[in-house]
Amino acid sequence: MSSPITEKLRNAVSQNYWNEAVALLRTCDPAKAAEALGDLPFEQQQRVFRRLPLDLAAAVVVQFRYYDQYVLMHSLPVGEMRALVEKLHPDERMRFFDELPEEAWQRLMNELSSAEATEIPGAQEAATVSVPEPQLTPQAEAIIEARQIEKSFEQPDGREIQIFAPMDLGIEPNTIFALLGPSGSGKSTLLRILSGLTQPSSGSVRVHGQPLGSSTPNIGIVFQSFALFPWLTVLENVEVPLVARGLQHSARHPQALQALAMVGLKGFENAYPKELSGGMKQRVGFARALAVKPEVLFMDEPFSALDVLTAENLRGELMELWIKHEIPTKSIFLVTHNIEEAVLLADRIVVLGSHPAKVRADFHVSLPQPRDKKSAEFLVYVDYIYKVMTHPELETGPLTKLPFPRKLAYRMLPHATAGGMAGLLEFLNDRGGEEDLYHLAEELLMDVDDLFPIVDEAVLLGFAESTRGDARITPAGEVFAEADIATRKKLFREAVLGHVTLMQQIRSALERKSDRAVPLEFFRDILDEHFSQDEVQRQLDTVLNWGRYAEIFTYDSQTDRLLLDEAPSAVNSSDAAPLH
Amino acid sequence: MPMRPSIHRDPSRPAAWGIVPVGATSLLRELPIVLGGVGLFYSVMAFARYWSGPVNSQAEISLHPVALPKYALFSVLRLAIAYIISFFFTLVYGYVAAYNRKAERFMIPLLDTLQSIPVLSFLPGVMISMAALFPNRQLGVELGSILLIFTGQVWNMTFSFYSSLKSIPTEMREAATAYRLSWWQRFLQLELPQAAIGLIWNSMMSVAGGWFFLMACEMFVLGNRDFRLPGLGSYLQTAANAGDTRAIVWGLMTMIGVIILIDQMVWRPVIAWAEKFKLEQVGSAEVPRSPMLNLLRRSRMIPFAMRVLVLPAREKLYLRFAKWHETRSLTKSTNRLSYWALRALAVVVLAAIAYAVARMFSVLAMLSSAEWRHVFGGAGATFLRVELVLLLAALWTVPVGVAIGLRPRLAAIAQPIAQIAASVPATALFPIILLVLIRAGGGLGIGSIVLLLLGTQWYLLFNVIAGATAIPSDLKDVCNAYQLSMAERWRRLFLPAIFPYLITGFVTASGGAWNASIVAEYFHFRGQTISTIGLGAIISQATDSGNSRLLLAATVIMAVMVVTINRLVWRPLYALASTRFKLEG
Repeated sequence: MSSPITEKLRNAVSQNYWNEAVALLRTCDPAKAAEALGDLPFEQQQRVFRRLPLDLAAAVVVQFRYYDQYVLMHSLPVGEMRALVEKLHPDERMRFFDELPEEAWQRLMNELSSAEATEIPGAQEAATVSVPEPQLTPQAEAIIEARQIEKSFEQPDGREIQIFAPMDLGIEPNTIFALLGPSGSGKSTLLRILSGLTQPSSGSVRVHGQPLGSSTPNIGIVFQSFALFPWLTVLENVEVPLVARGLQHSARHPQALQALAMVGLKGFENAYPKELSGGMKQRVGFARALAVKPEVLFMDEPFSALDVLTAENLRGELMELWIKHEIPTKSIFLVTHNIEEAVLLADRIVVLGSHPAKVRADFHVSLPQPRDKKSAEFLVYVDYIYKVMTHPELETGPLTKLPFPRKLAYRMLPHATAGGMAGLLEFLNDRGGEEDLYHLAEELLMDVDDLFPIVDEAVLLGFAESTRGDARITPAGEVFAEADIATRKKLFREAVLGHVTLMQQIRSALERKSDRAVPLEFFRDILDEHFSQDEVQRQLDTVLNWGRYAEIFTYDSQTDRLLLDEAPSAVNSSDAAPLH
Repeated sequence: MPMRPSIHRDPSRPAAWGIVPVGATSLLRELPIVLGGVGLFYSVMAFARYWSGPVNSQAEISLHPVALPKYALFSVLRLAIAYIISFFFTLVYGYVAAYNRKAERFMIPLLDTLQSIPVLSFLPGVMISMAALFPNRQLGVELGSILLIFTGQVWNMTFSFYSSLKSIPTEMREAATAYRLSWWQRFLQLELPQAAIGLIWNSMMSVAGGWFFLMACEMFVLGNRDFRLPGLGSYLQTAANAGDTRAIVWGLMTMIGVIILIDQMVWRPVIAWAEKFKLEQVGSAEVPRSPMLNLLRRSRMIPFAMRVLVLPAREKLYLRFAKWHETRSLTKSTNRLSYWALRALAVVVLAAIAYAVARMFSVLAMLSSAEWRHVFGGAGATFLRVELVLLLAALWTVPVGVAIGLRPRLAAIAQPIAQIAASVPATALFPIILLVLIRAGGGLGIGSIVLLLLGTQWYLLFNVIAGATAIPSDLKDVCNAYQLSMAERWRRLFLPAIFPYLITGFVTASGGAWNASIVAEYFHFRGQTISTIGLGAIISQATDSGNSRLLLAATVIMAVMVVTINRLVWRPLYALASTRFKLEG
């Protein structure tokens, strides 16, 4: 069964009416357009897609699954492909990159940054690369500091290949340092030089001011391939570095057990690595690294061999240990190809370019932890790094200021309760769905100033529309008005999470924490930057009311903490029940 | 992620171990271990007494079956000592070759060449130097024999260890460096475990090779001296010389019995134990088992000894080396002396090699053209013979191996039988085969081919079976689903799938066949010498008659041919196999 649009499109294409096909796709919404396009044979899909104007192509292409997206993009010449990728909404682009397998991602990045791609004139327009946080001010003396290090290899034919140009780099205390770069940019080599595994061709690495070699730094390393010894048990693996330090059995045993407990592997001491899942193997890798109480923890693509969910989980736990200072590590040095991961974790990010590698950007990320991937600021960083990586021709310095005001992210919530809105919607529904606001206030014996926030709330959440003093219920609002209480809560929750940034933030913060609790104070601080003292309190009251109604969280007034509502079971169980 | 503890404890193992086992059943369980220990102790003592005695290089070999246990014990100890020397040689040579880039450049080709030199070619040098070292003790002659066995079994072990060291994943090596493992800890926890599986399989092959050449190593003529050491090999050889069929059969049965016993008592337990060294990251369903290992594991004595002796010693060594490593890594740069000492050593070694090569050429220059013609003619004959043997072996092992490999139930039955058949050294069977052939009117021309076939076909068979077993069932299902004809199946699936394994088998079989030609082409039988044209016969004969020039020439030609064939034929094929025909899981 195919939709009428599909039929029309097919007709147009079969007669080679390309312009009509494009016009047809423009008239319908992107989801429908994508569906119709996807129904065409693949070759015709590509031919139509190549003819779409950039904005339409961007809107349509994101409707596809990532592999189709990848293939469709590649039906364009590489320059146009880059323009298209840039046209994508940052959020969508990040999702696409996130879903792509690493190899495909690496290849895409290489294509996008190739000379061919950067030659087209349109690329110049994007040359206003801006960085969120400007100058780096060294905060403290670096633990490990590299000066003018350079690495080159001699080829069999005697030619020298420079892996990276001379560069300075310091790992400061209390920092998570992320090194980003395309494949072949020598990021792993850099990690190995800083950790003392490899010698630089020239330049020096100093640890607390002493040359590396005369003093051995206390480091831990987490590898992409885990690098566990398969013939040793989990406990023995964790004890390996402790034995190397000459620790007696009585001293190293508790230390190893403590490290295992920290990463949640208590009870797995006697298992062999091959009995564990990938995520658990990497936990052993972390335990082994943390057991030595390292001053600097090096991580070489630690999450790349794991599936998306496991990686997410492990990242969250690592951050929690770091934030709570439960790990003895002073600094973390992370090598990654994943932009989002870098922005999520790092305090400082260095982006390398390739052939030979040099520092293309170096900046601090000053977002509070835990970070919200959906927030506008987060996307600014992601976008910036993406542009730096795909525009090797651009000079990234001098660094400029954040391009838009940071306070845009929070919009003021109307001071209305969920119950009030429910009443309004029921009333509107009874009255045929539309009513004059002043009539409404009269009928309800309310002051019109008290009614407005309620209408605003309904509008904000997509349950009503309001024009020239009229309020009109939307289809979603009708469903809400006719639903039972459990379904209403569910609809309300979806609407609130879909439209209210602060609510999204609260929920992701709660989910990220292992104890599922965040002090309300935390959000009060965030709102302080945006609203007046009194307004902050009113905003919080509203959020509390909505969140509790939606069963997103509960609020413990004793401790002034928000707790994730773990069991919105009443709501879920009614999912299956028909509406009325 | 819910995490439940998994428990890995053998329920039959008591939680705490007493020193003295209590109860009749447990006593019974310990009995074999105790007996084994006592037996080993006694035989070492006996051997030591015999060794330190005066020289008796021409022991009278009794053909009475009663003498067999003693002879078997002597042979086994010789093999064991040769194996232990091989093991330590392997560790040292492999280690240096893998880690010293300059040394590696000449150590590996040297190993390649040494591997291609047949055992008998080492004989004069080894025996003369040993006799010179210990002129008045039996030890000298015995050591000579042991070193001969050593030259027959060490090379493939060394290669295996070297390539295992080379294939340690980079990140594991980096983990060892980053966590500052001492040399000792790195060796015990990373390098030896990594090499374990390859080393064990190659040890089995080496010991089998030792049995193969046992007759040649225990009884031989060197110029005008006749060497005869008490052992199974010389028993069989004497029996063959005398044409005593009954004694041949007795000796053969004893040898097979000993081989099976060693297989059950040593190799099976070791293989089952080594399962944990497999690099694969997921657990496999089929695990080798060994009743012997279970016996050892259940005994109370072994864990007790582990707890009281091994573990504390290991712990102490770890800590000692760790401390040493710590202090040494801080004073690294001051070690100038050992650097220069190493350089000097390298110069000395190179000079010695250069001198030896120069001497070799001067000796070879003295050979007459008739002798050269003789050597090249022999080389041609042996070449044809070896290739014919490989072809014959491939003709029957490929279909049979694939048939066995594709049927797991058949494999379960056939595999152990084939293993026992393969473990019987063909040389021991040779007298019987010759008897049959001579009665049927054939000579050594056919006999040598049969013998070479018996010695080398197993490498092919086992590799083909392994290859066929590794064919993914998906691919077999595809063949069934699309109803491919038998010919199509062979062309599209079986042959490409077993190709890498087949090449591995060919490489081993080819080298083995060249080496085996020295015993296959030349044989003492019923008081006379039977031989056929071939390079192996020339080497054997040159050894017997003490013609060192001819021996050198023939050995050089054989080494050159084997190395050349390896480089020109097998290595390119191997490269092709490991790229194009690799089945990726």
